[in-house]
This record gives sequence, C-alpha cells and structure tokens, in this order.
Amino acid sequence: MVIDLQRCAGCYACVLACKQEHFLPPWIFWNRILISEAGKYPTVTKLMYPVLCNHCKEAICVKVCPTGATAKREDGIVEMDADKCVGCRNCLVACPYQQRTYYADDRREYFPGQGFTPLEVMGKKLYPLQKGTVLKCNFCAERVDKGIARNLTPGLDREATPACVIACPCNARYYGDLDDPTSPVSKLIMEKKASQFHPEFGTEPSVYYINR
Amino acid sequence: MKPYEWMLKFTPQTEWIEGKGIFLWLAFYVGGLGGGLYLVALYFDNFLGMLISWFIVLVLKGGFHLIYLGHPIRFWRMFFRPQTSWISRGLYFVTLFIALVPLQFLLAYFAPGTKLEVMVKLAALVMAVGMSIYTGLVMNYMVAIQLWNSALLPVLFLLCGLAGGFGLMLGIGHFQGGVDIVAIETGSIILITAIAALIAIYLTSARYVGSAGKQSVAELLRGRVACVFWLGVVLCGIVIPSAISLNSLLGGNTSDAMLLTAIICEIVGGLTLRYALLKSGFYQPLLPITLY
Repeated sequence: MVIDLQRCAGCYACVLACKQEHFLPPWIFWNRILISEAGKYPTVTKLMYPVLCNHCKEAICVKVCPTGATAKREDGIVEMDADKCVGCRNCLVACPYQQRTYYADDRREYFPGQGFTPLEVMGKKLYPLQKGTVLKCNFCAERVDKGIARNLTPGLDREATPACVIACPCNARYYGDLDDPTSPVSKLIMEKKASQFHPEFGTEPSVYYINR
Repeated sequence: MKPYEWMLKFTPQTEWIEGKGIFLWLAFYVGGLGGGLYLVALYFDNFLGMLISWFIVLVLKGGFHLIYLGHPIRFWRMFFRPQTSWISRGLYFVTLFIALVPLQFLLAYFAPGTKLEVMVKLAALVMAVGMSIYTGLVMNYMVAIQLWNSALLPVLFLLCGLAGGFGLMLGIGHFQGGVDIVAIETGSIILITAIAALIAIYLTSARYVGSAGKQSVAELLRGRVACVFWLGVVLCGIVIPSAISLNSLLGGNTSDAMLLTAIICEIVGGLTLRYALLKSGFYQPLLPITLY
C-alpha cells in the first residue's frame, strides 16, 4: 500500500470505512489517523498520518507468535487466525507500530446502557470477532480473495480492494503488488520516492508514504 | 486520550503489567524463582527444596500463565512454534521440567547413583536454567521496547531467580536442618552484589540504546516507577538481605524474624524488579518525525 500524504485531508473516511467493513467494536481501530503539529507559531504545520498494520516483510509478530495464529501469506498479507490465537499478546507487545488490539470485552456497546445497535448485532453474526484474541488489520483479505477469485485485480477493481482505499475521497491510498515492478504502487514508490514508516525498526513495512 | 493521539508520546507498555497482565508478571517471576530454587536445592542435594520448586512451577507458574491467556484451553497450540517463538520454547522448558523432576525423585529412590538418574538430573538442571532465562529472552526479543533490548536481561533474571532460590533455601535449611547455612549466606551475598552491579550496568547501557530507553530509565529512577524501584528493588532486594547476611556471616545473631525478613525481602526484590522493568517499558513515538 502507498499513502500519499500530499493528498490526505485527515477526513477519517478510511477509519470509518474500516470500522464499518469489519464491524469493529468500540475503541478498536484497525486504521488510525495520527494528528500532530510541527514547527512554532507562526510557522506551524499540521501533520496527519494515516497508520494501519504495515504487513511487514520481516514481521516480528509472526516470529514471536507461539501458535502460528499470526502468519504471513504468500501475497504478503499478515493475517490472524482467531481459532489458533491463545491471547498471549506477545504479538501485541512486539509490534513497534502498536497496530494490534486485544479484544477483551465483547459486551462493550457504542452507546453504553442502550444495548447493541442494529449494526453491532449484524456484525456479531456476519463478522464475529473472538473475544480473548488479538485483532488487527488484514488488508480486507476477504474482499481481496473474493475479488481475485472473480478475476479482478486488487488495487484496480473496487470489489477486490481494501475498504480504506476505496473510501478515500482524495485518492490518497493505493493498493497493489509491490513485488511487481510494473504495478502502479511500485511505480509510485519509485517516482515519488515514497518511504517506509520508521525503517529503523527493521521490520520492512509494506506500507509506503509519499511525504509532503 | 483521543484515538488520533495514539503513540504520539512515549507510550508505556501495559498489556503485560496492567489488568490481567499482573498474572503474567507473577508467572514470569515464579518461573525464575522455581528454577533458581531447584538449582540451589540440587547443589545442596535438598529434596524438600526441589519438591517446593517443582510445586511452584507446576501450580503457580502454570496457573498464572493459564489465567492470563485469553483462551487457556488452547495452550497446547503453543508447543508448535519453538523455531522462532521464545514463549513456545519456554513452554518446552517448563513442561519438561515438570515431567523430569518427579522422574528424578523416582530414580533417586529406586535407582540412586545410576547413569539414568544422573542424566535426568542434568536434563532437569538444563530445563531449570532455561526456565529462569527464557522470560528475559522473551522480553529481550521485543525490539520495540528499547529498555528490554539488552543481553544482560536474561542474565539478570537468572541471577534474581538464584537469589530468590538462595533465600528460600535459607528458610528451608534453617527450619529443616542439614544444609550448610554459611554457604547459603555466602552465596547470597555474592549473588546480591552481582545483581546490584548488573542492574547498574544494565540501566546505564539502556540510556544509550535510544530515546525510549532513556525515557524508560528516567521513569525507573525518577518517575512513576521510582518508588517501586528504590524501595522494592534496591532496599528490599539488595540492601536489607545483604545487611542481614553480612551480619550473620560476621558472627552476629540472626533471629528467626530477621531470617524471615531476609527471605521476604529477597522475594519482594525479585518481584519488584520484574514489575519495574515491565512497567517502565516505553515505545518510541510514531510522530513527530521530520517530514520536511
């Protein structure tokens, strides 16, 4: 994935699309926008940095997982198998980007005391998340897999592309095959000199950023 | 904290020390204590010490780990990744230790002095060392937390486990008899001195690992964890046991109350050391970074 910080408006569309796509419970975010400031008055700049699981090539979460619940697919997506997760949270502590969350309480409501909303009820049936396991972004692997099965191209065809990429109104997100040097994302990285987020962590993230 | 403020400052690690993380802290400690007590008891050939260490590991360490897990019934899956996961390797150390110690007892009763008994003892010794060290390696592997990125950490945990073992052995030897108390107290003094030196070197070197390491050390020495560190680790873990052991070695009378105080202080010292290290582990902020 490539995220163009020159285009990002900090509108949170990606955050909400991800929440909606996966019926995420309260206070669990697979996509975030970090907002900070740089400089001193009067030359202050607002920094908006969308972050998500980087699906690192040298993912430390994969190495530390004692059950194999966290595994890297052939296409590079780091996926969680909730049925194998024991909830040791070793992956959560190990992630230098802190993009994982432990799902401790499945009774938490978006509107406390008012019961679950119809969306939450639907989510528990359509996309049940296991309490006691660690959750994280999966690059909408279900969408990607279904799209590929229908001979669609992830990153080009909407039905095969992660929800956060489609939802972005500024076209700040790009998704594709980093191993293919002719893919749009690979070309973008080369042309715009996109860089990884905190490469010093040594995990080789698969999410690149085009700086402003 | 708002969602957009996540990881903008030095963020403390909380999963392994707050809420149910308390049980992981306790599990990490009692594993080292059980391993250390076994090693000391094996040295002094004390059956009761070895039995208590086995009990500590089986009931306390196993129990605390299972309480902490989100799905404890699936714990058997943790055997499948010893090639990369230190938690998986640690489970092997613990399980083999639990299996080998009763076998050692049986062989000591029915076939004492045989090659098999010696081999089983040696294997249990190796598992006890592994059990004492692996928690340090689990933490050391977390590159995200600079405070824990030190090769000294597993060594420190091993020595702490041994110190706790010496403390408990002192109590066992005093009340049961048949154990060289002077040797135990000499060993204690040497160990505690080594631990004090190691902690000083560890914290000094942690300051130079990176900004998060420096923040962690500041938190330990002057921040919200300072009380735990100075009162628990330094006073209870180093000063009081050293003073009591020195007093005893120099011919002074050591009452049962003083002995009990030394034992409790050594255990508190080990507990608070792990608590302080887990509590003061900080992640580097994701922002701000220079974008221009």
